[in-house]
Amino acid sequence: MRLSPTYLLFKDLVTGLLITLRTFFRKPVTVRYPHEKVQVFPSFRGRHAMVVDPETGKPRCVACLKCSVVCPSRCIKIEYEVDEKTGERRLREYILEALRCVYCGYCEEVCPVGAIVLTEWFEYSGRCREDLIFNLEKLVQNWKEHVAKWDKEFYENKYWVLKGVPLKLKPAPRRMGLVVKIKGVKVDG
Amino acid sequence: MPENRLSEPEDPFLSVLELQMGPQHPSTHGVLKLHLKLEGERIVDCEPIVGFLHRGLEKLAENFTYPQVLPLTDRLDYISAMNNNTGYCLVVERLLGIEPPPRGKYLRTMVCELARIASHLLWLATHALDIGAMTVFLYCFREREQILNFFEEICGARLTVSYPRIGGVRMDVEEATLEKVYNFLPEMERRIDEYEGLLSENRIWLERTVGVGVITAEEAIAYGLTGPSLRGSGVPYDVRKHFPYDAYPEVEFEVPVGKNGDTYDRYKCRLQEMRQSIRIIRQCIEKLPEGEVVSELTPDLDMMPGGRMLKAEAFNEVAFISFLQEAKEIFPKGELYSAVEGAKGELGFYLVSDGSGRPYRLHIRAPSFIHISAIPKLAKDHLIADLVAIIGTLDIVMGECDR
Repeated sequence: MRLSPTYLLFKDLVTGLLITLRTFFRKPVTVRYPHEKVQVFPSFRGRHAMVVDPETGKPRCVACLKCSVVCPSRCIKIEYEVDEKTGERRLREYILEALRCVYCGYCEEVCPVGAIVLTEWFEYSGRCREDLIFNLEKLVQNWKEHVAKWDKEFYENKYWVLKGVPLKLKPAPRRMGLVVKIKGVKVDG
Repeated sequence: MPENRLSEPEDPFLSVLELQMGPQHPSTHGVLKLHLKLEGERIVDCEPIVGFLHRGLEKLAENFTYPQVLPLTDRLDYISAMNNNTGYCLVVERLLGIEPPPRGKYLRTMVCELARIASHLLWLATHALDIGAMTVFLYCFREREQILNFFEEICGARLTVSYPRIGGVRMDVEEATLEKVYNFLPEMERRIDEYEGLLSENRIWLERTVGVGVITAEEAIAYGLTGPSLRGSGVPYDVRKHFPYDAYPEVEFEVPVGKNGDTYDRYKCRLQEMRQSIRIIRQCIEKLPEGEVVSELTPDLDMMPGGRMLKAEAFNEVAFISFLQEAKEIFPKGELYSAVEGAKGELGFYLVSDGSGRPYRLHIRAPSFIHISAIPKLAKDHLIADLVAIIGTLDIVMGECDR
């Protein structure tokens, strides 16, 4: 090896240096993060939010408990009350521990009404544990913050649509899609 | 010999020095601890100590329904999570007798190969960095970033993807994304040429890798090595060829093998494998059939262990636990083993089913765990600096080893 022309003429080193030299004239790929923000792709599994119906202004959740059953890390707890007359369930509290969540997206996939959603909001933190245990109020607040940043007219999550999945596997209310209208609706907060 | 230490000063080149390498050492690729016995700088004996990242994953899986175990398998070999997911899905599919639709199969093959490229890129990056080639590290991460972006676009997560599902994949891929992946492939091929230009003939790289960590084919088989670590010794064993799954029987690819079984040959093997992966992805996108991506027979995500829905009124902690304990036979009984060719080697899942909705026992044959057991053999009579190259060349991930 030591007597080969490659070795004696430093061909290996020159080849390597030429490759690095070529990179010298290319555009850098580094993103200077806090100053430049990376745009995540739609349906990125980020911070949780509770979708608010734009017409009534109430959370979409119907307390079916599917999300809390399916969650592999068991981080969702739901409290609800049953209406004596109609038998309708009313959501009282929805507690989601973001610290336990593994962001698998099962909850938003099973939700029949598209209420719980993992938004494209990826940078968030808290100063204590309680900051990251989201209750209903906090989840609605998360949704409002997400909507305020969303610049399109509609919001629809890919996990609500589930393209290519047989109709039989989708919950009935979701088969027609669950687009949320965002523009033209007054959002406070 | 600690009792002699006070009486007479020993010659450090003659006595055996014990040294603990890791678990915080950056070159041990995670939390691997090596108990070394040294003569000077020569390794006499080496004992790997594992278990620092143990999370009880197999036991945890026994408390989850079949769909719920899937996100756990992401955390095995977190660099190529797609392969783990596919391996787990395959074993459950074989238990339940589900056949994924062709589009699901092809998509799964495609993402598995993308994950394999990402894993090999990370291997090359860290392996080269351990040996001293900083540039390759940065270049590899540049390309890996693009592959992770594809994952993000396909399923919304970069590492813990949970994209495959029992009986197919979770959702279809947009045409635009497929186009992007297809256009990325020629660029990736050029990049591999770049890495090879930087390393394959480089004199320092050759000095550090040729003849380091040699293992013959017989020994490699005896130690149970699989994947590129075995193929570097010249054994053309590949689960994708020998026990084909998903769309692998329908695509053409070769299994690259090495000759000498040293670090350099394993490096060559993995680079060739990346080229073959590109070839597979290209064929997958070209041949991608139309249709649904997941079988209709797939168990619901919110299935209950007993096979029926939990009554909402009974949902409190005590009722939930008692509910988990009653197991009805809703699935076939039996035990089966099924393996996939993970990025590191043969990743096997051994599943025992008692007929309920939860695995009775799930054992994972993790290639990293078996590869670590070969470190003492490979490292004997090498220097400490070579040990770093040997750990790198086996491509171990502690998340998979300790589970």
